[in-house]
Amino acid sequence: MRCGDFRESYLEDEKIFQSTFVKVWLVILLVGLVTLPLFANDYVMYVANQIGFAVIAAVGLNLLTGCTGQISLGHAAFIGVGGYATAVLITRFGIPFWFALPLAGLISAGVGMVIGIPSLRVKGLYLCIATLAAQFILEYVFINWEGVTQGIRGINVPPPRIGSFVFATEKSFYYLTLVVVVAAVGFARNILRTKWGRAFVAIRDRDLAAEMMGIDLFRHKLIAFALSSFYAGVAGGLWVSFMKIVTPEHFPFSRSIEYLAMIIVGGLGSVLGSIFGAIFMVLVPELLNVATGSLKGFFPNLTQIFIPMKEVIFGFLIVGFLIFEPHGLAEIWHRIKNFFSLWPFSY
Amino acid sequence: MKGRLLSLGFMIVCVSLVAGLNLPAFAQDVIKIGAVQPITGRFSFAGVNIDAGLKDALMMANEAGGINGKKIQYIMEDGEYKMDAASAAFKRIMSRDNPMIMYGESTGLGKAMAPEIKDRYKILYSSTSFSGELADVKANPYVFVPGPTYADQFGILLKHIAKEKPGAKVAFFYSDTEFGKDPVPYGKEMCKKLNLNLVAEEVAKVGDVDVTSQVLDLKRKEPDYVIFQGFVTSPVPTVIKQCKDFGMKAKYMGTFWGMDKMMLDQLGPLAEGYLGVNPYNYWWAEEIPMIKKIREYTKKNYPTVDYRPNSYFQGFVTGLIFVECLKAADKAGQLNGDGLVKALQAIKNMDTGGLTAPLTWRDNKFPVARVWKANVDKKIFEPASDWMEIE
Repeated sequence: MRCGDFRESYLEDEKIFQSTFVKVWLVILLVGLVTLPLFANDYVMYVANQIGFAVIAAVGLNLLTGCTGQISLGHAAFIGVGGYATAVLITRFGIPFWFALPLAGLISAGVGMVIGIPSLRVKGLYLCIATLAAQFILEYVFINWEGVTQGIRGINVPPPRIGSFVFATEKSFYYLTLVVVVAAVGFARNILRTKWGRAFVAIRDRDLAAEMMGIDLFRHKLIAFALSSFYAGVAGGLWVSFMKIVTPEHFPFSRSIEYLAMIIVGGLGSVLGSIFGAIFMVLVPELLNVATGSLKGFFPNLTQIFIPMKEVIFGFLIVGFLIFEPHGLAEIWHRIKNFFSLWPFSY
Repeated sequence: MKGRLLSLGFMIVCVSLVAGLNLPAFAQDVIKIGAVQPITGRFSFAGVNIDAGLKDALMMANEAGGINGKKIQYIMEDGEYKMDAASAAFKRIMSRDNPMIMYGESTGLGKAMAPEIKDRYKILYSSTSFSGELADVKANPYVFVPGPTYADQFGILLKHIAKEKPGAKVAFFYSDTEFGKDPVPYGKEMCKKLNLNLVAEEVAKVGDVDVTSQVLDLKRKEPDYVIFQGFVTSPVPTVIKQCKDFGMKAKYMGTFWGMDKMMLDQLGPLAEGYLGVNPYNYWWAEEIPMIKKIREYTKKNYPTVDYRPNSYFQGFVTGLIFVECLKAADKAGQLNGDGLVKALQAIKNMDTGGLTAPLTWRDNKFPVARVWKANVDKKIFEPASDWMEIE
């Protein structure tokens, strides 16, 4: 019987796959994810794809905000840059999706670095406002740079294809999303164990101390911005290819807030937290929709009350989390895991 | 405590899942019509009414015997007037209920879904939008607009102006949204064609408070007519007030969304001389047979409701067109998307009980409407022209 881990070195502490047990569960999870389309309908697959895009973008934001401590209110705009870059590269320059997507990530990273420049001078709330400006400037660009973005009408994006196989349905696209999600999560988890990752955390915890230890603040902050925007750009590129259209409506300011909420609910500074947060923020409104939808059947005259109610419930759920579980869903997960791994001899 | 909270949360999720899946089973002879309506969000003021109108039209058809004996089932989900929520609701309805007809909440949703409607779902689709981009029989054969597009509405207004005052000076005042910009290129073209002098184009944000610079520009250019597009109410009352304060003698005009009682209420005495275009009759036209029927139905089913705005009639007329298509397609033995499109294209002089002019299909729209004039004392709109059709 398993009754806890006994680690003897720091190296073991930082292992991703802590035990065979974890490996087995991860394999089971992966098999579950791969076989999901076999028994799920199009709607479930649609939601699964949305969760995938949210996970990628939330992991990116968590690297910047959760790990490096640089609050960004412009994440939706970076997703937008990636989305538009993908659309323009594919439709205008005829570049295949497979090259357009990483290129879009790089373009988004470039924009992110420019926006990140003020981060050397300003911190906290002040940086918040600087990134907020980025959100509005970029939104303005999406709407008014009609030569490139086609303004409010948006751009139709063809779905990705390999040879004659087109990723046009929710199910086929899901596999594409899954691969990118696994890669993105794996990379983020690993980068936190490197020198860069440690530097990020040092900057978050106390930037002066970090600088005295020889960490180049400006460089690392810019790297964090670039990484985060790269993730956002890739998420945006995938998203618009899935939706087959990109318009400025996709990237409002409220979406930036949503991403912040995702990493706060999930757990700041934790990759697992970003995943949980993304799942929570996408899934719960959908579940509430389904719930209010079925209530509607029993009380047809109260439709007008039930439907807006879901927003209220969602708000309460988030507030509840912040009060009862400030460390986010990741912390709940740890507790459940510990409970089972130590059961029945927990102390 | 936390454990208990957690398990409670888990239970809620499970219950809602089960409740969602455990939908009642339906008989086979049912025709499903799905709708994604903006019940919440900033368009909800209209969404609630459009939903009621569409639903009432379908339920009235059911009461009258359904589609050659088959009953219509109306399935509605909230789209929140947000692109992603609406797309999710659309997919949810399509994969769960697989309806033959869908109704959408915005131009954006229509455009986002257009490729899939055409190549994958092949269902008849209409929406709250009068956007010209959607009414394109070649690009979107399954999508139709239940009236004239915004461009057609501009055309009707400009035709009215050309008749009333040839060579008049016209100004366009529109919002910086798709909704606002949609008819502007066509409007410019029409001005040239009708020998009208387009003197100004002003742009403002929806709900803007400060419109002084636009009003000053209007004052300089002295238009005879100002046409508003892309606003529901604000900033239209402010613009009209400031223009009148400057002593301008212009006439002010609006398109469908600026032609509701709400506008008259906000304008108050400023509404004197306000004109606009609307393809549907109004609630207060009690002598119209269909309005009479709707009022009776409303009295019976919604005793507390004493007024229905023009968005209700938009939904209602869409419902009538759906029913007409379903009946024809069923008769032809081709009750599917393609059969419905054929039936749609065959619509000629369709009688809507006086709610609109007789409807004839033209390139996936029904471009007929009339100009209405505000009556400040009665707080209603009265016809200022006969029904006009745009070719």
